[in-house]
Amino acid sequence: MTRLVEITVPDAVLARACAGDEEARRAIYAAVAPATLTLIRRIVGQRVVSEDLFQDTMMILYERLPQFRREAPLGAWLRQIAISRCLMYLRSPWKRLCLSLDPADFGVAAAGAALVTPGYRGESIDLERALAALAPTARAVVWMYEVEGYSHQEIACAFGRSVSFSKSQLARAHVRLRAWFEPQENRPSCTLI
Amino acid sequence: MHPDLDQQRSLARRLREMPDEAAQPYDWSEFQRRSGTRTRPGPGLAGARALAAATVLALGVVAVWTRLGGWSPTPPRPASVAAARLAPEATQPLAAHTAAMEHWLASLPSEPAVVHVGTRAAVTGLEDRIAQVDDLLSAARLDQAQPARLLALQQARTRLVGALVQVRYAETLADESR
Repeated sequence: MTRLVEITVPDAVLARACAGDEEARRAIYAAVAPATLTLIRRIVGQRVVSEDLFQDTMMILYERLPQFRREAPLGAWLRQIAISRCLMYLRSPWKRLCLSLDPADFGVAAAGAALVTPGYRGESIDLERALAALAPTARAVVWMYEVEGYSHQEIACAFGRSVSFSKSQLARAHVRLRAWFEPQENRPSCTLI
Repeated sequence: MHPDLDQQRSLARRLREMPDEAAQPYDWSEFQRRSGTRTRPGPGLAGARALAAATVLALGVVAVWTRLGGWSPTPPRPASVAAARLAPEATQPLAAHTAAMEHWLASLPSEPAVVHVGTRAAVTGLEDRIAQVDDLLSAARLDQAQPARLLALQQARTRLVGALVQVRYAETLADESR
């Protein structure tokens, strides 16, 4: 998997993009868009919402590009924007209301199934289902810690919570994920077919 | 190694090795098209901000006006006797203005697509006040009250309808920007 934080863009392209060059902006989009959408999708889950947040993130990127100081790779800077947008979405009262309605109205299993990306095979589907089974906050913490390499301190800052919040969310998520991968009957799994 | 730690590392490795999103994001031209249609930084945020600001403004206007004694069921003071002579002429433009606002309000759906509790409370509060003034107006007309009193009530009603129009207009803008 291509990690957003590792993506760099040549300085010359950045300078041209800052000056408004269309081709340079297109090149940056081609370089960062897939990894950005993947990151947002992993944290948020739903495809439609992910695309909305992806659009916001990319628009903010181009708006703020002249402020980019090039002290870190462009991907790292963009990752901050994307994660910030995702956490804002997860914290919104509207999202919390939807979450409170989801299980009763549609069923958790149906919601989890809707989060699986078409085209995935075997263990990827299992992993995606396992992630979808987590609460959105826990999923974000797991992804930020395990994949993006954030520390508990950084996660706590991003959520505006304490370090122990991050640790407890991660510990509970691990328990749930481990339970998911332990062999049990009556669980939909593509690896067992 | 502790089995828990081993499992944790295995899980982290699996997560890191997950493939990229199978469906690729839309292309540059589609991104530009969507950027053109979107004038706000976040989904629903700017609309919500505009609605909140308009609601606060409308409530502020109503609060200040109420504090200054804009609506009062007490009879008019003797000083307004001169105004009483002008009442029939003065009430006509007021009535026309109010009728235009009410016509616009009637063209709106009874409730917006997304109902905000705060805004709805302001709308229903204003509607209640308008109904109260309507009652007073009906009673004043039946009692053949002084024209000055009728004028004062009509002005109060116009102000309340104006405040209601502002809140509903802000609500409409927020709906459209959503």
